[in-house]
Amino acid sequence: MRITGRWRVTAKLVVLIGGIVIASSQFVGAPARAADPIKVGWVGPLSPPGGYAEGALMKQAAQLAADEINAKGGVLGRQIQVVFADTRGKPEEGTAAAERLISQEKVVAITGEFHSSVFLAEMDVAHKAGIPIIAVDVWALSITAKGYPEVFRVAPNQALIATKYGDWIAAAGFKNVAVLFEKTDGGQSARDVLLPVLDKHGVKYEVVGADPNSTEFTAQIERFKTRQPPFDFFMTAYSEAGAYPMISQSHTLGFAPSARTGIANSGGPAVDPTFWKNVGEAGKYLVTEIVGLPKNAWNDKTKAFVAAYKKKYNQSPSPQAIENYDAMLVLADAIGRAKSTDGKALVAALEKTDIVLGRGRYTFSTSRQPDWAYHQFMNAPVALVQYSKVGQEAEDAPIVWPRDIANAKYTYLKPGQ
Amino acid sequence: MRGLHVYVLLIVAALALAGAGRLNAYWMHVAIIAMYYGILAASWSLLAGYVGLFSLSHTAFASIGGYTSALLVKWLGIPVLLGMGAGVVMCCALGGAIGWVCLRMSGPYLAIFTLGFSEIVRIVISSEDDVTAGMAGLHTAPLFQSATRLPYFYAAFALLAVSLLLMGLLVRSRGGLFLRAIREDEQAAGASGVAVARFRILAFAIASGFAGLAGGFYAHYIGIMTPSVGDLDEMAKLVVMTVIGGMERLPTAVGGAFVVEFLLEWLRDYGQWRLPIFGIVLLLTMRFARNGLVTPFWLRLVRLGEARVSPRSAARELPQKDPGA
Amino acid sequence: MSWDYLFVQAANGAVIGVIYALIAVGVTLIFSILKIVNFAHGDLYMLGGYCAYYVIEYLGFPPLAAMVVAMGALFLGAIVLERLMLTPLYSDATERKDEYGLIVTFGLAYFLRNSAVIAFGPFPLKPPSFIPGVQRLGNLIVTNDRLVAAGVGIALIVALLYFMQRTIWGQALDAVSQSRDSAAIVGINARRFNSFAFGLGAALAAAAGALVAPIFSLAPDMGVLPNIHAYVIVILGGMGSVSGSIIAGILLGESENLFTAFFPDPTRAFAYTNAFGVLVLMVFLIFRPQGLFGRRHLRME
Repeated sequence: MRITGRWRVTAKLVVLIGGIVIASSQFVGAPARAADPIKVGWVGPLSPPGGYAEGALMKQAAQLAADEINAKGGVLGRQIQVVFADTRGKPEEGTAAAERLISQEKVVAITGEFHSSVFLAEMDVAHKAGIPIIAVDVWALSITAKGYPEVFRVAPNQALIATKYGDWIAAAGFKNVAVLFEKTDGGQSARDVLLPVLDKHGVKYEVVGADPNSTEFTAQIERFKTRQPPFDFFMTAYSEAGAYPMISQSHTLGFAPSARTGIANSGGPAVDPTFWKNVGEAGKYLVTEIVGLPKNAWNDKTKAFVAAYKKKYNQSPSPQAIENYDAMLVLADAIGRAKSTDGKALVAALEKTDIVLGRGRYTFSTSRQPDWAYHQFMNAPVALVQYSKVGQEAEDAPIVWPRDIANAKYTYLKPGQ
Repeated sequence: MRGLHVYVLLIVAALALAGAGRLNAYWMHVAIIAMYYGILAASWSLLAGYVGLFSLSHTAFASIGGYTSALLVKWLGIPVLLGMGAGVVMCCALGGAIGWVCLRMSGPYLAIFTLGFSEIVRIVISSEDDVTAGMAGLHTAPLFQSATRLPYFYAAFALLAVSLLLMGLLVRSRGGLFLRAIREDEQAAGASGVAVARFRILAFAIASGFAGLAGGFYAHYIGIMTPSVGDLDEMAKLVVMTVIGGMERLPTAVGGAFVVEFLLEWLRDYGQWRLPIFGIVLLLTMRFARNGLVTPFWLRLVRLGEARVSPRSAARELPQKDPGA
Repeated sequence: MSWDYLFVQAANGAVIGVIYALIAVGVTLIFSILKIVNFAHGDLYMLGGYCAYYVIEYLGFPPLAAMVVAMGALFLGAIVLERLMLTPLYSDATERKDEYGLIVTFGLAYFLRNSAVIAFGPFPLKPPSFIPGVQRLGNLIVTNDRLVAAGVGIALIVALLYFMQRTIWGQALDAVSQSRDSAAIVGINARRFNSFAFGLGAALAAAAGALVAPIFSLAPDMGVLPNIHAYVIVILGGMGSVSGSIIAGILLGESENLFTAFFPDPTRAFAYTNAFGVLVLMVFLIFRPQGLFGRRHLRME
C-alpha cells in the first residue's frame, strides 16, 4: 500500500512519544518508604577545577562515619546512606547537585563542600526546600551571616581563623609581612579579614594575588627578597597543589622559612597527607592552622576516629576529614533526637545540639551578634601550630597560639634556634 | 506534507511548556541549564559550523554578558532585563571587535587567539575582585521573584526559541549561504563576490551577542556569578556538546546540548567517569560520525513529511501496456 | 632596581624558559609535520611526568632512566593514538582537516585531563630529585634539578635539530613537513613519518614532564598552564621552527619573570604575569603570525 511508509513512521512516533512520557514520569519522583535507608547528601569537589584533593579527604571521612553509624545499627532503626555529588568548584554544579539530592534522591540533609561560592548556591536550594545543610569546610562569613535557619557550620570561619593569624603575627613581633593569597573564594576571604587585623596592630604588609594554577613562584619570591626593609614574615593563603612548590621555592631561595623571615600557610595543604613528601626540609618551622583539637586535648572520640581513619585509608586524617566526620555524627544525633527526618524537625533538633565529639563540645549559636554567629559552631577549635621537625604530624606539632591552649613555651620558633 | 517536522516540533514544544509544571525542581533546573547550553551551542555552531571560525572564546562572552548585566544592575539599579540587554550589546560590540582583529587568522591560529582572549578575560575578572568579587562570587539580582523555577523555565524556553528563530532566519537567508561559502573555501567565496570580511565580523558579533544573552540570563538565574562560567573547562564542554550533536546545523547543536546535559546529570551515579566518557564519545563521533550523532535523527525528522515512493508502488502507477496491442 | 636583581630574575627566566621550550618543541614538531595544533600536548606532558614517577616508585629505576622509559611509553602510545584517530587526516574524503585536528586533539585533552584525576588520585606527588641541592652564584640560587632539566632539555632539543638536519630520517621528516605529496613522490612513506612525528612530539612532552616533576610536583591538572605557554612560544617562535621555539621559550621565560619583577603594582604583578604572556601571543597573531622565525602557515589542502 502506498501508505505503508506513513504507518511505519506514525508507529515510530507513537513509540517515541510514549517512551518519552513514560520516562519523564521518572523525573516527577516517587515517594520514599519508611524502611528505606535514610539518605544523606554530600557535596564537594571531586574533580578539577575544584579542590579535588580536599574533597576526596572529606568524602572518605563521611563514608567512614556512615559505615560506623550503620555498624551500630543505624539511626531510628534505619541505615544511613550517603549520596555523593561532585560539585567541581562551580556554583552551577552546586545548585544542580543540591536540587538532585533534594528532589530526586530525597535526602534528609546535606553536608560537605569546600568552596564557599558553591556552598552559597547550594544553601539557597536547601533553604527553599527547608532541608538542613551543614557546612563542613567553607569559611566565608556570608554563609552564616545570611541567617538561613537551615544552614549550620561546623568549621570555623575566616573571622575566627584569619583573625587568629593577625593577632599571632602581631604578638610574635613581626612588623613587615608579605601576604600572598590565592585568587579563590578562600584566599580572598582570608585576605579580607586578615588585612584589617594587621592594620589594627600597626603591622605593615604588601599583598600579592596569585592564580590558583600557579606553580612557579621564583620571580615573585625574588621580588619579595628585594624589599627594604626586608620582610620578616611570609603569610600565604593558598590551598591548591601549587602550595607545595611555593613553599619549596621560598625555602630554597633563602626567603622563608629562614632566620630572618618566617612562613605560614593557611588553607589546608600543610596538613594534607602528602605535605612532607612534597616539601621536605622546607616544611620545618612552617606555621599552619589545625581545626581539630590539639593532641593534648584529644578525647576518646578523637583517638577512636584517628585510629579508624588511619586503619581504613592508610593516611592521617586532615582537618576537613575530621570536620566531615563530625558533621555526619552531629546529623545522626539530631535525627535521633528529633525522632523524625522532617526538615523542620531536624533544623530544630540541630539547633539544640549539645554533644561531645572528636573536636570538642558541639553547640550552635543562635545569636545574631555578630551576624555570622548564627548557627555557627563558635567553639570550633582553631589553633596555630608550628612544625618543629621534618615529617611531623600536624597533631604533634607544638601549638603556638592561642596562648591559653599553647603547649610551646615560645610564640614563634626562629629557624636556627 | 511539507514541513511536517515543524508541526511535530511545535507539538513537542507545547507539551513541554504545558508539562513543565509537573517536573520536579531538579529536572526543571537541568532543563533550564540545558536550554542555556542550547543557546550557547546554537550560536557557537553559527560561528564554527556555518562560517568555520573555531572560536574558543564563546563561553568567555557568556561570562562577559553575565558580569556586565550583574554589575550594571548592582551599580545603577536598572531593571534586570535592561541589564541583560546591555550585556548583549557589550558582547556584540566586543565580539565584532574580536572578529575584526581575527580577520586574517584561520583554523588553529584563530583557535589559539580566542583561547588567549578567553584566558585574559578570566584572569582580569578573577583579579579585579574589588569590582567583580572574583572567585568569592558576585551576588546577582534575580530575574524573577518566585518560589519555584517555573518562570525561569518559560523564560529560558522563550530565549532559546527567539534565538533559534533569529539565527534560523539568518541562516536561511542569502547571508547564510555566504557564511557557509566562507567555511568551505574562503578564497573562492571572496573571489565569487562574498564580502568575506563583513560576514566574518558580523558572524562574530551576532554569535557573541547570543552568548552574552545566555550569560545574562544565567547570571540572574543562578544568583551567583563566578569567573568559572567563562573558563576553558566550560568551553571544552560546549565543544563536546555541539560536536557530538552536530556542529553544522542549529537544531542538531541544540540537540547535542540537550542530550549531553541530560546524560551528564543522569549519569551522575557513575561519578567522575561521566566526563571522560564524553571525551571518548566525542572522539568516536569525530572519527566515525563527523556530522554529529543527532544529525541522522534530525534529518529523518525533517524528511518525515516527504512523500515516500517505493519502486513497487511507482511501477503500479505507470500506465500498463496493453498486452494485446 | 639593581643590576644584581635584574641578573637574578633574568637568569631564572632563562632556565625556566628552556624548560618551557622543551614542551613547545613537541607542539611545533607536530604542527610542522601533521599540520595540526595538538591541544592535548599539556596532558601528554602530564602523563609523561606520572609515568616517570611510577617507574621510579615501583620499578626502582633512577630518575633519568625513568625519563627515558616515559619517553618511550608515550612515543608508542602516541603512535597508537595517531593510527586510531588521525588517519582521516590523510584521506581526501575528509573535509576541513584543520578543524578535524583541532577537535580531535581537544577531545583527547578533555578525556585525558578528566581521567587523570580518577586514575592518579588527586594528591600531588613528587618523585625524588635528580640531584639534590642548589648552585649559588652571588645572589642567584638555582636548584640542581632546574639546571638538570634545562641542561637535558637543551640536549634533547639540540639532538632533535641534529637529527632533523643531519640524518636521513630527519631529512625525510623535514621533507614531509614541506610537502607531503612531493615527499611521497620521492619515495618517502608519509603516513609512517606522520605517526613517527606525533610519537616524537609526545616523547618530548613526556621528557619535559619527567624533568619537571621533581621541581613542581605532579598533579592531574598540571598540563593546563604549560599548554598555554606552549602555544605562546610556538606562535612567537613561529610554527614549524624548532630553533625558533628555543629562542621564544627563553624569551617567554624572561618576559614573565621580568614582568613579575618590575611591574609597578606589586599586588597585581604576579597575577597578571600569565595574562601578559597571552597578550604578547595575541599581539603577534595580529601583526606577525609567522612569529620570529616561522614559515607562513601551510594549510593541508
